[in-house]
Amino acid sequence: MSGGDVKDPVTVVIDFLLAKRPDFEEIPRDLDLIENRVLDSLGFVNFLYLLEELTGREIPMVDVAPEDFRTIDAIEARFLR
Amino acid sequence: MTDLLSSSDRLVTILDRLVGMSKSDYYNPYEVFDWPESLPEHQYWMSPELMSTYGTEAAGELSEAQLWAISKWESINFYSLNVHGIRELIVEIIQRIHTDEFRASSEYFHHMIGEENEHMWFFATFCLKYGDKIYPNTAFQLDIESAGPAAHFLVFARLLLFEEIVDHFNSRMGTDDRLHETIKQVNHIHHQDESRHVAFGRQIVSVLHADLRARLSVAELADLETYLKRYLRRSVESLVSPAVFRDAGIPDPYALRRRILADPAHGEYQAKILKRSMRFLLNEGILTDDVLPGPA
Ligand SMILES: [Fe+2]
Ligand SMILES: [Fe+2]
Repeated sequence: MSGGDVKDPVTVVIDFLLAKRPDFEEIPRDLDLIENRVLDSLGFVNFLYLLEELTGREIPMVDVAPEDFRTIDAIEARFLR
Repeated sequence: MTDLLSSSDRLVTILDRLVGMSKSDYYNPYEVFDWPESLPEHQYWMSPELMSTYGTEAAGELSEAQLWAISKWESINFYSLNVHGIRELIVEIIQRIHTDEFRASSEYFHHMIGEENEHMWFFATFCLKYGDKIYPNTAFQLDIESAGPAAHFLVFARLLLFEEIVDHFNSRMGTDDRLHETIKQVNHIHHQDESRHVAFGRQIVSVLHADLRARLSVAELADLETYLKRYLRRSVESLVSPAVFRDAGIPDPYALRRRILADPAHGEYQAKILKRSMRFLLNEGILTDDVLPGPA
């Protein structure tokens, strides 16, 4: 993200998903993102690139499973710590 | 379910003709190509107009050497997308061949699977020989969009649109004299085979959608439309890759991708690539308008 950005990565992730799904007022940390189609196959690549940018490293697809993206908590535990 | 396709006389006639053409046009891909040890770096590997950067403000800030590098890696990414797309295609066709529903097209499927296996071989060979890698597949199965009554339709619609998007590039690069002979050859030969696959794809997608119109609600058909529009959008976006820009030595590859996707020139790029498919989907009533959603 740009230099002056002080938002923490979890907030950046939540804001990104909210922008995709304006019908959601908030995204609780334990919401099932896949079940609720906040994340789906077609939208996945752009989300992956966001995580890569936030973490500063490439995320090889062979290392990830759908469960890593199930909730905000899971995403934070797997990628943002 | 019984034979889905033989009720369409037109489709059966076309299948016969395509099988005949596959036999008479058959060639040995393992003999037909010239594979020089290396390809010259200081030139375009893709037609400049087909590069994702074309016409964008960001491209104006890049040197020609940087654009050459992007063209090389973007072409490797394009062929890599082909490799992964063909794998999905072959898996789906294999699951259907010699089932009752696809009895009428099984003979044709044998030719298609054989041809696609060969296409995957020459695209992969190009990537490995001149890029020393195949870019990993970024498609990720998170849901079961392909289940339910529209499963066959969605599979064949995806395959057709994939083949038509690829052919937009192949048909132009196959005759572009600015490109190296081997690059022209790979694109030209693929374009020739794909004209048969696209002809079949359009027929089967048309037949399967007509069947769905009789069985699905308006809301369910609208969901299919939304899905296909997002698929089209995502397909063009996948041609704009941060991994490509990283390999081309661009300092902030994600920022360049964002800039390109937000540039008005990208809208024109997308419209050109999808023009032929859009016209088909609108004519068939599969889409009701040509407005695509925002970034996938
Ligand atoms: Fe092919
Ligand atoms: Fe094909």
